[in-house]
Amino acid sequence: MKKNHVKSNLKKAGKELLVESLKLPGDVLMGDSIVTLTGNKEAWIENYRGIIEYTDSVILLQGKTCQICFEGTGLSINYYTNEDMKIGGLIKSVTYH
Amino acid sequence: MIAFFRYLKGYVRIKVWGFSPERFMNLCSNKNILLWDIKKEDDVYFMCIILKDFFKLRPIVKKTKTKVAVLERCGLPFFVPKLFARKVFLLGLLAALGFWVISSLFVWEISIEGNFYITEDKIKSFLEEKSIYVGMSKSNLDIETLEKELRRNFDIITWTSAKLEGTKLKIVLKENPVSHNIVKVEDFEDGSDLISDVEGKIVSMIVRSGVPKVSIGQQIHKGDLLIEGKIPIYNEDATVRKYRYSRSDADIYAKYTVNVRETLPFAYIKKEYTGREKKQYYVGTAEKIWDLGKIKITYPYYDTLTTQSKPKLLPDLYLPLIYGSFTYREYLNVEHQYSLKEAEIILNEKYAKILSDLEEKGVQIIEKDVRIDTESGKWILEGVLTVVSKIGIEEETVHE
Repeated sequence: MKKNHVKSNLKKAGKELLVESLKLPGDVLMGDSIVTLTGNKEAWIENYRGIIEYTDSVILLQGKTCQICFEGTGLSINYYTNEDMKIGGLIKSVTYH
Repeated sequence: MIAFFRYLKGYVRIKVWGFSPERFMNLCSNKNILLWDIKKEDDVYFMCIILKDFFKLRPIVKKTKTKVAVLERCGLPFFVPKLFARKVFLLGLLAALGFWVISSLFVWEISIEGNFYITEDKIKSFLEEKSIYVGMSKSNLDIETLEKELRRNFDIITWTSAKLEGTKLKIVLKENPVSHNIVKVEDFEDGSDLISDVEGKIVSMIVRSGVPKVSIGQQIHKGDLLIEGKIPIYNEDATVRKYRYSRSDADIYAKYTVNVRETLPFAYIKKEYTGREKKQYYVGTAEKIWDLGKIKITYPYYDTLTTQSKPKLLPDLYLPLIYGSFTYREYLNVEHQYSLKEAEIILNEKYAKILSDLEEKGVQIIEKDVRIDTESGKWILEGVLTVVSKIGIEEETVHE
């Protein structure tokens, strides 16, 4: 078990080295989520796995590497597909866990 | 645009509640089912989904232990069956379409552009002669023949173009006023004389052909012979052998006077509108009109203002109907008097017109002696102009 964990860590470090040295985009190789904010009223998210929690004050998304939490008021999902999604409302903070 | 495609495909607004609505949404996105306008109220989620995808929801609903209810149906797939249920409306729609299609097979408007010398009435009556009228079938119209006939019938027309724009026949033509204005000049093959048409004093003479009978500085009268076209050919003993007849050609300038007189009565009648008016609306066709309602006009004096419009479905698709209104405006005939200032302005305008007319004819004005006065109930502008201009009228030489 430990051996596997060490192996995956090594793999991850190797990937990061490759991304940094070849200047490749992180979202393609590492699966990082892309969050584009337009003011504090709109957020456009790519590269995520799904919704964990959705209320009008919190939207918690599961990314491929971490969780992303949008906090605010009157939050709503304008559209939701496998590729991307758009969040509307008054966004107060974006935190990563 | 996206909204339009969604409307075409049809979509439903649903509400989702139960054990795990978030998982329901995640599974939808995994199966490439588009959800939009997702909102949450208490424990219920509201969202929109394409109609086709709605039928794929059953396994997801089972898996996530949620419940789904349709709130609203939108789009074309829901609208069309509703439309077919309203038979009278559908019939009306078809009838309107049919009327539109049939009425577009006729000519409902003829427009003529580019005519300055030939009046529109003249062209329209010519078109009627050739059986081209408002209301005729488009299929009976031979545009090429029409263009040719127009050119053949009116000499002044040098170019024509006729085309159909929707239900409108548009005729554009070009006229050549030069060819129209050419006056046939007599050629005077048997010689001509130049006769004086004024009374005055000759100031300059250039003779190109003919025998001069007057000289510079000579006083002439109306009807005096200026240049004779009968040229004598002498024998050696200075007797006339014969005469050769040629056309007189000379530039003779004379100084003479022109009398100017313009009058203007003191009083004139002016229309003064009282502001009272009545309006009568009407509808009709090109041949007949019908009044809408009846009104009685009690004004002693009134004039009528007519407006007319043609309804059109599209910019060039006219209907065979007209509508408009008659406005009857009451007025009173009020007598006014011209003041000296007003009379001066009007008479001066008339005087300026006389001067410009003379100058246009190539007359040089040397002296002006004009005054404004009154004479038995009217203003008069009277005077004498001393002018210099080319004189002489060509007349046929009398043969011996």
